[in-house]
Amino acid sequence: MRIRWPRLHWPSVRGRARADAGPLLLTAGVVTAVVLLAGSTPPLIRQTSDDATRDAVRRAADDAAVRVEAEWPDDYGPNGGRMRSPQLAADVSDVAARAAGELDPTLSSALRPPVTSVSSVSLMITDGSVQRRLRLEYLGTPTGQPAVTWVAGRAPGPSTTDEFLEIPLAGPPWPVQVGLSEADAAALGVGPGDRIPVQDERRTPYDVRVTGVFRPADATDPAWSAAPWVLQPAANRDGLGSTRIGALLSPESLPDARLALRSDQLTRVVRFDADPTALTWQSAQALATSVAGLKGGSAVSAERDPSFKWSTRLDSVLADLRDQIATTSAQASVLLLGLLAAALLVLALTADLLTRRRAAALTTARHRGASLPGLAAELTVEAVAVAGPATLLGLALAVALTGSASLTWVAPFVIIALGAVPAFGTVTAARATRDRRTPANRSARRRQRHTGLIRRVALDAAVVAVAAAALVALHQRGLGAGTGGDGALPAAAPALGAVAVTLLLARMLPIATGLVLRFALRSRHPLVLFGAARAAATSARVLPAVALTTALAVGAFSITLYATTQRGLVDGAWQTTGADARLDISSDAPGSSAGVAGRIAAAPGVRHAVEAEVNDNARFIADSTSVPARLIIVDTEAFGRLLADTPLPGLPASAALTATRDGAVPALVRTADGSLTPGVQFRLPVVTNQSIALTAVGAAPALGSGEDTVVIDSRTATAAGLTVEPNTVWATGPGAAQAIRAAGTDGRLTIRTEVLDERRTAPLTSALARLCLIAALVLLGLSVLGFALAAAANAPARWETLARLRTLGLRPRDTRRVAAGELVPATLFAAVLAPPLGALLAGLAAGPLGLRLLTRQASPPTTVTPWWTIEAVTLAVLVVALIGTVAAESATRRRRRLGETLRVGDR
Amino acid sequence: MSGPLLSVQAVHRSFGTGPAAVHALRDVSFEVEPGTMVALVGRSGSGKTTLLNVIGGLDRPDSGTVVVDGLDLGGLDEDGLSRLRRERVSYIFQTFGLIPVLSAAENVGVPLRLARADPARREQRVAQLLGLVGLDGHAQQRPGELSGGQQQRVAIARALAASPRLLIADEPTGQLDAETGLAVMALLRGVVESEGVTAVVATHDPVMMALADRVIRITDGRVTP
Repeated sequence: MRIRWPRLHWPSVRGRARADAGPLLLTAGVVTAVVLLAGSTPPLIRQTSDDATRDAVRRAADDAAVRVEAEWPDDYGPNGGRMRSPQLAADVSDVAARAAGELDPTLSSALRPPVTSVSSVSLMITDGSVQRRLRLEYLGTPTGQPAVTWVAGRAPGPSTTDEFLEIPLAGPPWPVQVGLSEADAAALGVGPGDRIPVQDERRTPYDVRVTGVFRPADATDPAWSAAPWVLQPAANRDGLGSTRIGALLSPESLPDARLALRSDQLTRVVRFDADPTALTWQSAQALATSVAGLKGGSAVSAERDPSFKWSTRLDSVLADLRDQIATTSAQASVLLLGLLAAALLVLALTADLLTRRRAAALTTARHRGASLPGLAAELTVEAVAVAGPATLLGLALAVALTGSASLTWVAPFVIIALGAVPAFGTVTAARATRDRRTPANRSARRRQRHTGLIRRVALDAAVVAVAAAALVALHQRGLGAGTGGDGALPAAAPALGAVAVTLLLARMLPIATGLVLRFALRSRHPLVLFGAARAAATSARVLPAVALTTALAVGAFSITLYATTQRGLVDGAWQTTGADARLDISSDAPGSSAGVAGRIAAAPGVRHAVEAEVNDNARFIADSTSVPARLIIVDTEAFGRLLADTPLPGLPASAALTATRDGAVPALVRTADGSLTPGVQFRLPVVTNQSIALTAVGAAPALGSGEDTVVIDSRTATAAGLTVEPNTVWATGPGAAQAIRAAGTDGRLTIRTEVLDERRTAPLTSALARLCLIAALVLLGLSVLGFALAAAANAPARWETLARLRTLGLRPRDTRRVAAGELVPATLFAAVLAPPLGALLAGLAAGPLGLRLLTRQASPPTTVTPWWTIEAVTLAVLVVALIGTVAAESATRRRRRLGETLRVGDR
Repeated sequence: MSGPLLSVQAVHRSFGTGPAAVHALRDVSFEVEPGTMVALVGRSGSGKTTLLNVIGGLDRPDSGTVVVDGLDLGGLDEDGLSRLRRERVSYIFQTFGLIPVLSAAENVGVPLRLARADPARREQRVAQLLGLVGLDGHAQQRPGELSGGQQQRVAIARALAASPRLLIADEPTGQLDAETGLAVMALLRGVVESEGVTAVVATHDPVMMALADRVIRITDGRVTP
């Protein structure tokens, strides 16, 4: 059988294109804009993921480094003493080489060259001055030791000329030669030839001799990062108020350090710093697998050196990052799908407009014998001619913007864009020649109406069912993988929800406009009646209302998502810090913090300052089960006042926490698994076979990362026999951070505003915020476009009606009011429905969207709906669209003669 | 007032400029006495509708004068023309031009609403006109529920609602079958007599011509004998 291809009538194709150049250009514009957005978003997400990967690894610093600790081989000599090994530095280098050899290429390419360090334990400097500790450090890289210039003295050398010496185990301290940086030497007040008096925790003295003072050739050499205290004294590395100083060993003095210290006092570590610049998100995923394999294999694999102990937190850093990127990608896909849904609805409106404009021409063509396949082919050719270049332009712009373009979302969008006009046009042409006349009798007409109603209800039910399925999937499965695949349905839930709700309510519009018409009939103002009549005549068309309201609702969703994230970040920073500023004092120096809170509280700009003992590793017993949780022992009255000065949840009345109940200490509890809930009796073991009885009387505030927490009052705790040693100070007020700094107490200072800034500017968070705002802007633009298209589709009928009314005496200026009256219901519908619908969908989706991974809150952030902003923006957009459309139409009408309009209507 | 209700003198109307200009009306002059029914006949494109538009103030002539009920349309601004159509001139169209969501009675009442007529008087007048056009029992039906002939009757009733002096009808039977068209024509003839209105009806229909008091022929924009 020979296939007959439809014949195209090229003059018709050209004629239609010329006549409808405006709408076709509009279609091309929409396609270009959406293709640009849909094509560039995935690459932008990829780039942001790469940035986030580099940022996370950079921030993780030490945690991202891969370390391998190599055990020392025995160095016992034939006489039971310890043998000096002159090639020790070479052995250490060999360890680094062997460790590097065990890295697979993926891991190796993402790591910087190794830095090998041999470090002693911290030895107490016993010169009678302030608390200072000394570490002996040997640093090596594949190219040797970091370069230094000896500004005084000389490099450390061997302590003996007898290279292969065996010393007795219980002999006198073995001398070790070291070099000091200028800063460290100045801090110690020593120079070449001096000894540094040190001893270990057993008070065993060591003989450390300074041979020279050096200046680093390059202080930024990565080798120094393994032991920065070799260059500069470092505070608080060995406990509160202590200063760590590093003494540099040379390859020649390293064997002596080995002899001088016990085996367990000297460790050799090869450290591979992660190289953020070499990482992408894709390579990081492979890296995570490699790291997991390395860590797993280090314990069991016989192929690896059993003396190596690999350690790194890079895998958990990447796992956290993976969760964040998956969440952000999924959130982006939700916004993108909402945007695509709105764009598709606007394209449908464009197709509808084109088809209405062409209805007469298509009908004539059909009457003159044009086949439906032929018409469909002609319209398809036109669609390809319009959407094809527009798509290419959009992709080219996406490539120019991001370096690449993704077709994942572009392809389905373009397919629909290509099919919409031919489908609408062909259906219109088919209807023109379909021999289906209106039945003569009423029952047949009723049956016909019922059939139409059933079809419509079936369509609506299908849309609602898909939307419901998407929402259920979103709640049950979350967003899953994000873009594409299984994640597409839940990711489309907000958009589908908006479409379904709008569709259902838009079906009610004719009822509403009918009611308004009834009231208008009683009005003495004819313009009200005419506007209501036009509105009632056009309200059965749901597409304009659905397109407009969906675009605005998804826009409101985006704005709500943005506001929720921003507020969540603020709340998260409060949760993390617990106040405006927090000082974490090392637990190595108990008692030193006494009075710190009082000094901080007395500083200007500080409203509250509270000290507490925070034990992150406390264990409780509840129902014979061990429950790990953070224990906070604090003056609950003062803490309550401090919390009341923050947006964090407060504490119950202090009386509830300060009065023991049946001998049990009242406590506030918070556990993720519910193992400790208000009313539960539990115990805190303090020493073997002893414990303090506790009773949970309320919920503890979520602080930190939302860990399980138990809060008890310090006075009650003291009365129950606990020794309270404050190690944390929270302070509120604009001068809190400055006051903590000025208090002169060493410790880790966390400032809420810095935490917030850091999180806000993190690549993923800032990218999501930008996407929310861009999506909202584009959606607002689409809603204006949808409004104008919907108005344009009805314009001929509206103009004809207005012209008829003009023949009855309606004044020209009143036509604008009637036209506005026709457009008001859709405007009101969108204004009333879109903001709450967007906010509702954001509320439903906020939890499953996993925003808390970005806001770092213990629980999903509370949905924040900026009602005023959304309402104001929505109303502004609608009013501008309404006034603009009516004014533009009025200007166009003025250019046409009234008689001309009536003649068109008569055709 | 004595004299013609409608006076058209030396009216020219052309569309476009230069060689492509279409001269729709060329030096058209005639007068219509009150209470008469004039049939305006001519082939398609002869200028009938243009002339009706000019007479009703929907279009302005390039030159010449049109006087309706003593009012020179050339001296009226848009609001004046609107007032003219509200009070003195009514239209009947081939496609009826009814508002689909309003009932027959409500459609008939539209000109009275524009004239801010008292609701009671409006209802009374609507009922009277629906009775006049034979649609007493169809007052609450919407245009979609009426036949073509019934819709045109509603349009005629609406045209008469504001008691105009001049009724302009452009092919009022163009969309009706012969029998219905005949009934509508008879109705038009009847209302001209009963309401004392002057009518100018553009038509191709010889029956209508026969019912008219006078026939004005127009060919290529000129009134021909």
